[in-house]
Amino acid sequence: MMGVLRTERVSIDFGGLRAVDNLDFQIGDEIVGLIGPNGSGKTTFLNIISGIYKPTRGRVYFNGEDITSLPPHMIRAKGIARTFQTNRLCLNLSILDNMLLGLYCQQQTTWWQAIFMSSSSSREIKLGIEKSLAILAHFNPALITRAYEPVMTIPLIDRRRIEIARAVVGDPRLVLLDEPTAGLNSEETNQMINDIAKIRRRSSQISIIIIEHDMTVISRITERVVCLNAGQKIAEGTFSEVARNELVRTAYLGG
Amino acid sequence: MGNKIYRYSLAGLSTLGICMALYVCLSSALLVALIVIALAIVILSVGERKNVIDKVYRLIGDNKALNLGIIALFILLLPFLVQGNNYLLHIAIMAGIFSIVALGLNFQIGGIGQINFAPAAFYGMGAYTSAFLSVKMGLSPWLGTLCGLLMAIVLGVVVGFPALKARGYYLSLVTIALQIIFTLMIVNSPWIGGPNGIPGIPSYQIGGFSFRTPVALGGIQLPYQVNFLYLVYILLALFALAANRLYNSRVGLAWNAIEQDPIVAACQGINLTNTQLLAFCLGAAYAGIAGAIYGHYTSFIGVENFDFSQSLIFICMVILGGTDNVPGVVLGAVLLTMIDEKLRDFSGYRLLMYGIVLIIILIIRPKGLLPKRIRVYQQKDRSEYSSHSAVVTGGSR
Repeated sequence: MMGVLRTERVSIDFGGLRAVDNLDFQIGDEIVGLIGPNGSGKTTFLNIISGIYKPTRGRVYFNGEDITSLPPHMIRAKGIARTFQTNRLCLNLSILDNMLLGLYCQQQTTWWQAIFMSSSSSREIKLGIEKSLAILAHFNPALITRAYEPVMTIPLIDRRRIEIARAVVGDPRLVLLDEPTAGLNSEETNQMINDIAKIRRRSSQISIIIIEHDMTVISRITERVVCLNAGQKIAEGTFSEVARNELVRTAYLGG
Repeated sequence: MGNKIYRYSLAGLSTLGICMALYVCLSSALLVALIVIALAIVILSVGERKNVIDKVYRLIGDNKALNLGIIALFILLLPFLVQGNNYLLHIAIMAGIFSIVALGLNFQIGGIGQINFAPAAFYGMGAYTSAFLSVKMGLSPWLGTLCGLLMAIVLGVVVGFPALKARGYYLSLVTIALQIIFTLMIVNSPWIGGPNGIPGIPSYQIGGFSFRTPVALGGIQLPYQVNFLYLVYILLALFALAANRLYNSRVGLAWNAIEQDPIVAACQGINLTNTQLLAFCLGAAYAGIAGAIYGHYTSFIGVENFDFSQSLIFICMVILGGTDNVPGVVLGAVLLTMIDEKLRDFSGYRLLMYGIVLIIILIIRPKGLLPKRIRVYQQKDRSEYSSHSAVVTGGSR
């Protein structure tokens, strides 16, 4: 299996608290589910991968390259995109503008080009708009007619779709999804599962790490599951293997 | 076809109407000016509720050449309209200079959402650099202006680089400190005139023609202000064009993303340090060149032109006009400059009245006269995709 992302004994301390503890993790061309009770370090781990936190110890390799000390914007440029647990779109901006932000890392226009070579700048924007609308259509065609509306007027399920669309529009190699179904009802959760499946259908060259508490989501879309507890990896394997694991059951049910 | 001509003339008329309203504000007494502004506010508020403003925007945007032509003609004819009244021309020039500063400040307030309380320091940096070089060193005012612009940018980098590690209130505090240090430094530096300022600043020259000589145009003797009026408004047009292009580019979008959520912006590949520093430096450049021109225009600069209260006025211009809206910021700067001058009748109560007018306008239009709008990239898209609620409602800040 060709490794896309690999972490080596990654740890992070917040004061006296070790949120992630000696974590070895790797992902190839697959969808990996990251599960674990609240506070087990799942989101912290995504924050380490995407460069928001620097690990206290350990290294992160992406396509064989050490990205441990890179800032978030350079990690995005390498091809790791993410969504956030609490939906974090730019609410004042239109759907289209949010999508164009997802393409920022692929665009080249500098400020002086924007001022003095406005035709190349607007050509780049035009291409971006076409691409954004194509991706939006892939997720929910109804959003195209609302492309110029501010995101705050859009319902939650569509906001999540837009956030995922924003993450994949820039052709990342790896997408990190942090609880994409939080706050959705069961009908919407089903739609979201289909949407995530669509990412892979669009391009098999996208690996996905997904944090989720809803086990139906995990069982239906992930190919492999990693379970964390107190920052440590306690189980790894297919969903049915992990679900049978005694340690996992104890971690979730307590006792 | 008939519809097209109809729209064309409607667009022309609305621009003409805006120009005439501004002219009436400029040339008549305070009371009339206030009535015109009040009427404009009512039209804006009612229009927005009925979605008319959006249509007017589109109308004007669809016929850009015509409308820019009307505005250019209006400024070209302004000296004749006011019959060479040099006081009114002076107000118009100051409105242009302040507009340039406000456009620059808008990169910070409207763009990255950071309130810089020291625009007057950057404005003063440009003015003092250019004045010092041309008075004490005998440098050409043109070169002096260029140096003023560069020095303002240098100040922007030196202050911005460490200051932009802070955000929100903390950044504002740093800029307040900068403003106070700047004023104190000038007062305590005898080599740049200290509290007495720098008098006798030479004016621009092209060939043998000094900008401070009156001109006779079409048989009418016009005061020297005409030269500066045209110079300032040509520059304002260029700077507004640049600001507009930045706003519609990925740079403007990146600024807005940083304003909304810096972590999300970084995760989209935006380099926070460089992009924010850019907003600071471009703002400084705008302020610097405006300050330099101010010095060469009035031939005297003193510290009171660049103090904290001047900074606050610049901030008011951006907020009252409408953050992140180029026409709005220019409108805000022009209106506040005119109101400020009209209020001179009140002498002692001038600042009080100024504050009251500001508060009333902001109560009625809390997001500014022309609020921030949703970006529309091409006119063609607009007809394809619906575009109601184009004004940004509410906010997450």
